Amino acid sequence: MRLLLDPFAVPFMRRALAEALLLGVLGGAVGVAVVLRRLAFYGEVLSHTVFPGVVLAAILGWPLPLGALVFALLTAALVAPLGASRRVGADASLAIVMTAMFAVGVALVSLRSTFATDLTLLLFGRLLAVGAGEVLLTAAVGAAVLVTLGLLSKELVLRAFDPGGAAALGYRTVALDLVLNLCVALVVVVALEAVGTMLVLAFLVIPAVAARLVTERIATMTLVACALGALGGWLGLAASFQASVRYGLRVGSAAAVVAVLVACFLACLALAPVLRRVRARAAGGARAAAAGRAA
Amino acid sequence: MPTSAEPSANGPAAGPAAALDLRDVALAYDRVPVVEGVTASILPGRGVALVGPNGAGKSTLLRAVLGLVEVVRGSIAVLGRSPAAARGEVAYVPQADVLDAEFPVSALQVVLMGRYRRIGWLRRPGRADRAAAAQALEQVGLAALARRRFGALSGGQRQRVLLARAIAQEARLLLLDEPFNGVDATSQELLLAALARLRAGGAAVLLSTHDLALAHLACDQACLLNHHQFGFGPVGATLTPELLRATYGGRALGLSGDDLILMRP
Repeated sequence: MRLLLDPFAVPFMRRALAEALLLGVLGGAVGVAVVLRRLAFYGEVLSHTVFPGVVLAAILGWPLPLGALVFALLTAALVAPLGASRRVGADASLAIVMTAMFAVGVALVSLRSTFATDLTLLLFGRLLAVGAGEVLLTAAVGAAVLVTLGLLSKELVLRAFDPGGAAALGYRTVALDLVLNLCVALVVVVALEAVGTMLVLAFLVIPAVAARLVTERIATMTLVACALGALGGWLGLAASFQASVRYGLRVGSAAAVVAVLVACFLACLALAPVLRRVRARAAGGARAAAAGRAA
Repeated sequence: MPTSAEPSANGPAAGPAAALDLRDVALAYDRVPVVEGVTASILPGRGVALVGPNGAGKSTLLRAVLGLVEVVRGSIAVLGRSPAAARGEVAYVPQADVLDAEFPVSALQVVLMGRYRRIGWLRRPGRADRAAAAQALEQVGLAALARRRFGALSGGQRQRVLLARAIAQEARLLLLDEPFNGVDATSQELLLAALARLRAGGAAVLLSTHDLALAHLACDQACLLNHHQFGFGPVGATLTPELLRATYGGRALGLSGDDLILMRP
């Protein structure tokens, strides 16, 4: 246990832990909505479309998240209505928006030649250098996103499960899509500087998919996803710290967190068939009991 | 358009009490005409079977009654109002197999979805909603499986859950898209019994089907559709060999002097 707690005696590690736990829980919860709506590819697209925003912000001397935010919101606003068009389709509209925006970013980069260091930051973040202000911002944005999704959860679930039924009941599915897209965009932007695009995507997709494998209810799926996200953040940070302090191995903290998350996913993948068999047996038992009562 | 808002006010056959009134309706999808010349009406407590081959426009017609398809000519009145204005009173029952069987919701949660408009934004289902949902499941014979995952049920059971959702909605007009497709005999009987109870309670039913026997059992009227309307009226007078041949074209085959008609869907 000391192996897992000692690293966080240092202030910068405590801040990193706070940020990782927040993003783990936030990613797990928002990830449930993402996975149920099959928006994992949208998350991937967002992590690319913020790129021109970051480049533009660097050129203009803005804070990087501001540039990322502008392009993330633009992506969210473009993808929802374009994907609703039957002739374009959701996957094609995502691919078009992604390539178009990424091309803008590449064009902007080629105007300048001094971006190399900033761009690795975009990919991997700098979790160990995260400041107290960033942690607070993550907490505030995360709370706003979670409250929004929580209040709209029944409508979002209905839309994900049965879009035709939602429209028949009079819900405007494009509007619901837009709200969810915006929430995911906010999570990506707020996490960008700390953990980079790779880890934010991992937080958004892996815990929720892993949780889905071992649960049958959305409420339990959400709890498990949040727990797995937080666990990945904690264990990953501790592992990368111990590896460098004890064994002199420099393992990037973001990579270590992703590794733990993937390990959790594999464990759930192995566990899923076992759980399914147990549930089937329990259901069979209940059926037999009901039949006995009837007889 | 005031004419499409209250077309039943001076309607000849239907009268103002019609649950659904279609007047010379023409529909288009992406500006491609799909359905033309449909004139029919359903009174409360009545059932209409929408019969026609695949691709005839049956699903498009159902979606138009929900206000989700553009009406290019004629008018649709639902309970005397425009389709979009009447949505809360209309329940739509999709085919069970269009829904993701892996989605983590229980049968009861699916039925509760029928109450969402009643519950409203930002609120959780209350005790009354849960009671209504449980009672709806009871009516389709699935009370014991309320907590089972929707996708873990059989095809027929899933179809019954979706009908229970429509029951929980307490709608006055039910639209069902091929509700008997791939459904086992037990589920078929329970669906028919539930539909009969709904009609006895004053709800109007419009369902699409390929199965003439089930059309006779579930409905008292029929509408033959293959892009155009080929007939509308009492089932016995409408599902005749001549009209079915006209509707299905080369896809209908009469056996033993038209005593038995076979259609390819």
